[in-house]
Amino acid sequence: MMTYIVFILSVIFVVSFVGFSSKPSPIYGGLVLIISGAIGCGIVLCFGGSFLGLMVFLIYLGGMLVVFGYTTAMATEQYPEVWVSNKAVLGAFIVGLLSELLTACYILKGDDVEVEVVLKFNGAGDWVIYDTGDSGFFSEEAMGIAALYSYGTWLVIVTGWSLFIGVLVIMEVTRGN
Amino acid sequence: MKPPILTIIMFTIISGTIMVLMSSHWLTIWIGFEMNMLAIIPILMKKFSPRAIEAATKYFLTQATASMLLMLGIIMNLLLTGQWTALNILNPIVSNMMTVALSMKLGLSPFHFWVPEVTQGIPLMSGMILLTWQKIAPLSVLYQMAPSMNTHLLMIMAFMSVLIGGWGGLNQTQLRKILAYSSIAHMGWMIAVTTYNPTLMLLNLTIYIMMTLGTFMLFTFSSSTTTLSLSLTWNKLPLITSLILIIMLSLGGLPPLSGFMPKWMIIHELTKNNMITAAMFMTITALLNLYFYMRLTYATALTLFPSTNNMKMKWQFESTKYTTLLPPLIVMSTMLLPLTPMMPTLF
Repeated sequence: MMTYIVFILSVIFVVSFVGFSSKPSPIYGGLVLIISGAIGCGIVLCFGGSFLGLMVFLIYLGGMLVVFGYTTAMATEQYPEVWVSNKAVLGAFIVGLLSELLTACYILKGDDVEVEVVLKFNGAGDWVIYDTGDSGFFSEEAMGIAALYSYGTWLVIVTGWSLFIGVLVIMEVTRGN
Repeated sequence: MKPPILTIIMFTIISGTIMVLMSSHWLTIWIGFEMNMLAIIPILMKKFSPRAIEAATKYFLTQATASMLLMLGIIMNLLLTGQWTALNILNPIVSNMMTVALSMKLGLSPFHFWVPEVTQGIPLMSGMILLTWQKIAPLSVLYQMAPSMNTHLLMIMAFMSVLIGGWGGLNQTQLRKILAYSSIAHMGWMIAVTTYNPTLMLLNLTIYIMMTLGTFMLFTFSSSTTTLSLSLTWNKLPLITSLILIIMLSLGGLPPLSGFMPKWMIIHELTKNNMITAAMFMTITALLNLYFYMRLTYATALTLFPSTNNMKMKWQFESTKYTTLLPPLIVMSTMLLPLTPMMPTLF
């Protein structure tokens, strides 16, 4: 099972994306968004990026999505739409699920057939982790994060400024007159 | 909006576009686009009303979709070539995807639907920033990608844009919608020539920006947003009336005004590349544009509509509007034609 963990997590990732893009009520969409964020974090973890995966979990899910969840809980309606309550949402969910299933079956036809969608796929072998891809002595992911704070100072400044502007814009927009 | 916040937001808009212009790495280009888009949302919502919020929401949704498409193209380019430089995207899937994303940002057909609605819902000065400054960043990325772009896709979008810009503006009386359709048509002219001579695209952009800035400032000067209120400017500001006449004719591309220069050079370049039908088609559809500019000049400067006032002149007060650099803009929008041999060398 551990060999196929990335494949399983990717399948659940895609299915949860279908889940929230079939437009249920925001509270249920937020729930599925949290699940898909956690699964994405798991995929990052499987490729050896332990620090980044935990950052996604803590900051993205634990900080921002929790705030989003609370605000949608404040703005929720009396009878929110769930996937089985509305025919349109259920229909969209089933259509999305079927198309993903058909795409996955097309790509995974077998180990001998090579299929090209944008990249060349050769059965399930491309989604399986055989090793972590380390170069041996250091983790590339940790080196990348260290580089962000040494060579990438400008990027940190720009990103920090963009986040500050994001908060300012949100406050301007909601303040109104 | 309080002045410190307005200063910070304007600074972010300017620095977002400058980051796109100065970058060679795709990630910083994308960051520049996002900074620009985020910071212009409160500018679009300056006059707080449901219409303005609707316009800002439409703008945000389309631009965010375009940014996501661009990011997908960037990641696919990274996957397929392993590098982040923004020149010469050789893979056709990636190149087409990025072209579609950037044309969504510019408001080219068939992604033009947001331009009239967003421009109509926002104040005149915000519309001015939207239609001039926001075009610089995507066109600069198109300029960098120009050697490897798909000419067929660009030509299809150019033809549809000039057609829709011409036909869509015919039935409008609201000035902001007219200028939005004018922007769509001019963008069509600009990308038609991108794969043949990108310098002419920049030349067209410069002349278009000068003319549109002048137009918006003249409209702000007389506080008019409909053709009807424009037709009453003879009473308030007679000089503005004649300036509107000249700038409208320049936007329509009539010689000897400088609006003729980009059209002339583009037709010349298309003919040199044996695209004679294309040049003819675009010239004929530019007549549709000229029709509604002429209608505006007719209403403003050439006739007196039956109006409610019967005074010959009103008191002329000092204007309190910010019309910076209006005289140089008008001079440059109308008198640059003799300098045509020099203009392509500037870019």
